[in-house]
Amino acid sequence: MTWSGIEVRLRIVRRDFELDVAFESMGRAVGLFGPSGAGKTTILEAIAGWRVPRDGFVRVGESTLLDTAHGRSVPVEARGVGYLPQDDLLFPHWTVRENIRAGIERAARRGDDAGTFERAVHVLELAPLLERRPATLSGGELRRVGLARAICSGPTILLLDEPLGALDLELRRRILPYLVRVREEFDVPVVLVTHDATEVHALCDHAIVIEGGRVRASGSPAAVLSGPALHATEFENVLRGEALECEGGTALVRVGGGALFRIPRAGLEAGDRVLFGLRAADIVLATAPVTGLSARNVLPARIESLATDRDDVFLLVRPDGDGSGDAPLLWVSLTTGAVQDLALTPGGAVHLVVKTQSCHRLA
Amino acid sequence: MPSLEPETLDALLVSLEVASFAMLLDVVPGLGLAYLLARKEWRGKSLVETLVTLPLVLPPVAVGFLLLFTFGREGPLGSRALGIDLDLILTWKGAVLASAVMSLPLVVRTARVAFEGVNPRLESMGRSLGLARTRVFLTITLPLARRGLFAALVLGFGRALGEFGATVIIAGNIPGKTQTLALAIFDNYQLGHEREALRLVGLTAVIAFLLIWFVERLLASGAEREGPR
Repeated sequence: MTWSGIEVRLRIVRRDFELDVAFESMGRAVGLFGPSGAGKTTILEAIAGWRVPRDGFVRVGESTLLDTAHGRSVPVEARGVGYLPQDDLLFPHWTVRENIRAGIERAARRGDDAGTFERAVHVLELAPLLERRPATLSGGELRRVGLARAICSGPTILLLDEPLGALDLELRRRILPYLVRVREEFDVPVVLVTHDATEVHALCDHAIVIEGGRVRASGSPAAVLSGPALHATEFENVLRGEALECEGGTALVRVGGGALFRIPRAGLEAGDRVLFGLRAADIVLATAPVTGLSARNVLPARIESLATDRDDVFLLVRPDGDGSGDAPLLWVSLTTGAVQDLALTPGGAVHLVVKTQSCHRLA
Repeated sequence: MPSLEPETLDALLVSLEVASFAMLLDVVPGLGLAYLLARKEWRGKSLVETLVTLPLVLPPVAVGFLLLFTFGREGPLGSRALGIDLDLILTWKGAVLASAVMSLPLVVRTARVAFEGVNPRLESMGRSLGLARTRVFLTITLPLARRGLFAALVLGFGRALGEFGATVIIAGNIPGKTQTLALAIFDNYQLGHEREALRLVGLTAVIAFLLIWFVERLLASGAEREGPR
């Protein structure tokens, strides 16, 4: 089915706050970007129907969910949204499995096959958590379960409120790749609220800047989020793996899909689980195998996608590893000039060149 | 513990029976009112709140008279007006009604707190996942409030066990029929059987202690098992 976008017009006046926004987007991933207190959450709640303004209009795809001028407000249970609020709101008396399956009946009515559950569990790596209660989960785990529950409820749209917001830096780095995978894996339009430009760049094809209850700008992330707002080059990939052998000052680490990295040892012993970070800007790409380099890591890889932001290009690259295709995706940032000179395109084979010192152990 | 006298056993059984039926009578209106008071706003809400709490502060004897007047033969809900005899006067059913009415404030107030302890956003989330309101109430609100709700009924049960004033007016004090523990204590005291009265007091105190202890345990365990969220 073709996506006819979303349309939102809201006017909410409270004693201490006034929200007056109107926007339309054909984007499949819309980022509502702005400082906290700007009214972004209020917009999501109005779309979800948790809050019914006296004056507003909300259309998602073909269905008009709210039209106060014509006295129309679709009840919450009939809106078909998958909402991930900041406080997750997992049902504390249910296991993770029961939580994820909470909306499965609606999904079935909408024609989702039973495979969505399995896929969500796989993509978000929830299999080991399925029989646990929410009270025993960490912040990042709660967020992933909430995300899986939203995806498995057969939504026409996903509303994600600061999906990385309340998490500390390390967790943010870990959850972002999951969100990227969710976008790739599940064909559901997303409205994402965030105050982090990296997230908008990584996930969205349309950015709307909200400030003080007003729309300040609307357009492609590259056009709208620039200058000080943009720290995408600071973006850090986070990899998990197991130390295979440790000698001297370095450790050889196998990450998912059999890709091998040599990283600083930092107290690692063979067999240890390890989490390490690698900045997108610290990865060098070569189109041919290279020798005679001081860099210890040269990994054959394939370009999955490519996004341009002014002078920078962000590439999503997957190391070949053992050929299983299970290696984790890495963000690489290059200049547009470098991309043109090397004629880099999606699907192209490259080699990743990474200095051991560019990798730093996080946990 | 010495074996119970037949009269004591009778009073105990009548009390337990009356209190149990009183709670059965209170479940739906008590929990229903508690939910409405916890979640909804409407005109006249404070009037309903006041009326529900009234039996807590009115002299029980006065409530008994009101019930007698209302359900008596000539009353607005009496056999003449309804066309059928509810058979409440001087029967154990009357004792059940008196206990139910007297316990209702305690049930409603405790259950209301239990409902208010359930994050309403969890209910919104349930609806956002496509669950109808009744489904949300039955599968999310009720289970999350269940300890507090059960505590409310146990407290109400305890209150019903001790009911005296309203019961004696509408149901009388008929040994083996409507004579509850509280009425038996009064009877024995009046007849000068102080030792028997004391034994009944002891029995009543043990039951009350166990009930309250159970309720406290119940409410404390909820937070541990499901966490503060």
